[in-house]
Amino acid sequence: MKINLKKFRGILIIILLFFIIYFLQINFFSWFTIRGIMPNVFVIFALFLGLFAGKKLGGICGLIFGIILDILIGESIGFTGIFLALIGLLGEYFDKNFSKDSRVTIILMTIGATVIFEVCMYVVKIVRFHTQIEILAFIITLLVEVIYNVLLVIILYPAMKKLGYYIENLFKHKKLLTRYF
Amino acid sequence: MKNKTSVIGITITIIILIIIVVVSNLGTSQMQTFQTVVSKLFMPFQNGYVYIKNKITGNEQQISDISLLKNENSSLREENSKLKEQVRELEILKSENNTLKEYVNLKNKYADYNTVPANVIERSYSNYDKIIIINVGKNDGIDEDMPVISESGLVGRVLSVTDSTAKVQTIIDTASTVSATISTSEESILLKGTLSDNKKLRATSIPVETSILQGDEVVTSGFGGIFPKGILIGTISEVVNTKNELDRYANVNPATDFSKLETVLVITQQ
Repeated sequence: MKINLKKFRGILIIILLFFIIYFLQINFFSWFTIRGIMPNVFVIFALFLGLFAGKKLGGICGLIFGIILDILIGESIGFTGIFLALIGLLGEYFDKNFSKDSRVTIILMTIGATVIFEVCMYVVKIVRFHTQIEILAFIITLLVEVIYNVLLVIILYPAMKKLGYYIENLFKHKKLLTRYF
Repeated sequence: MKNKTSVIGITITIIILIIIVVVSNLGTSQMQTFQTVVSKLFMPFQNGYVYIKNKITGNEQQISDISLLKNENSSLREENSKLKEQVRELEILKSENNTLKEYVNLKNKYADYNTVPANVIERSYSNYDKIIIINVGKNDGIDEDMPVISESGLVGRVLSVTDSTAKVQTIIDTASTVSATISTSEESILLKGTLSDNKKLRATSIPVETSILQGDEVVTSGFGGIFPKGILIGTISEVVNTKNELDRYANVNPATDFSKLETVLVITQQ
């Protein structure tokens, strides 16, 4: 059986990244907040995977990582997985239609992904748990979260781009020539 | 050149982010720390200015023996580092003592129930959930829907368990509903978590004839079969009257400070 070492290395990097992001989100961003509001680094991560590793890997990783998060600390199992997978799929759609070499488009993608993910999660919460609808409070929280995510993307953009192209080379290197030339 | 600009941009963004986070979380007590930091930054300049001013006006004091002062300074530094070490050791002992005291106080307070003490090991990563993970599970006799309390009052209920951990839905979670009574009446009301202020609960379904006042204590009603009767939930902080009396609600300050929650008790048998 031929093992593709390059892809194996890529998957190891993605798993390692997930662990780093998990511990950052749980331990660091739980106190490094803007008036008690945390960023959602998992959304950025799923978008990043979709953009650079493609919709297949972005979707699958989003689903698996989301389910792990649900098992570890979620209220119900499955929804985080579904919506992170959706963000992973959206990543490739964004990649095909917009340039990921521009900081502005990455920022706009982050805004879109965060809004889509959190709105979906909130709707599920309302439907599943009959939570009281608080539109204004939700919008304010979401707005601060979006700003926080954007600030993180601005800071992490060079590292994201470098690591992203490295991962893209591992998973999508055959497609590069036909896409850009 | 482009790289340099990019680095400057990132640095500025990091600084802005840190400033936003720090300023948004500052309380009045922390403002004093901020003032101290600012004063420390500016004091050397102020001292320099005073020194020059004294020189000009002839008010300076002669320092007769600089080497003597230097020796004294180094011995004081040594003494200071030893004292700091002792303080650190005492701090560790104090923290251990506090945790043990909390356990004992909790056990005594809820002596009527069979309880299992636990520590909070993780908190929810989402802004819309208020879930905590505690370090006890099936192996310690924990099961789903068991009530969780703290020294101050009600915390929540066990949502799910593994062998060594349990997921607890706190009462401030927006999906949580607790049946409660106001200490001054026997009428039952419903308490829900709110998104607008995660340090408050909203009391709804208040019967029209029930008189409710700021400062009234709210305790569990015992209805619903999860929480035992009489556990303190919090106090009424504000009563909001609406045109339709049926829609009036009250804000409740939870007795438990969820941001500092470290030790809890799981009631295994009521």
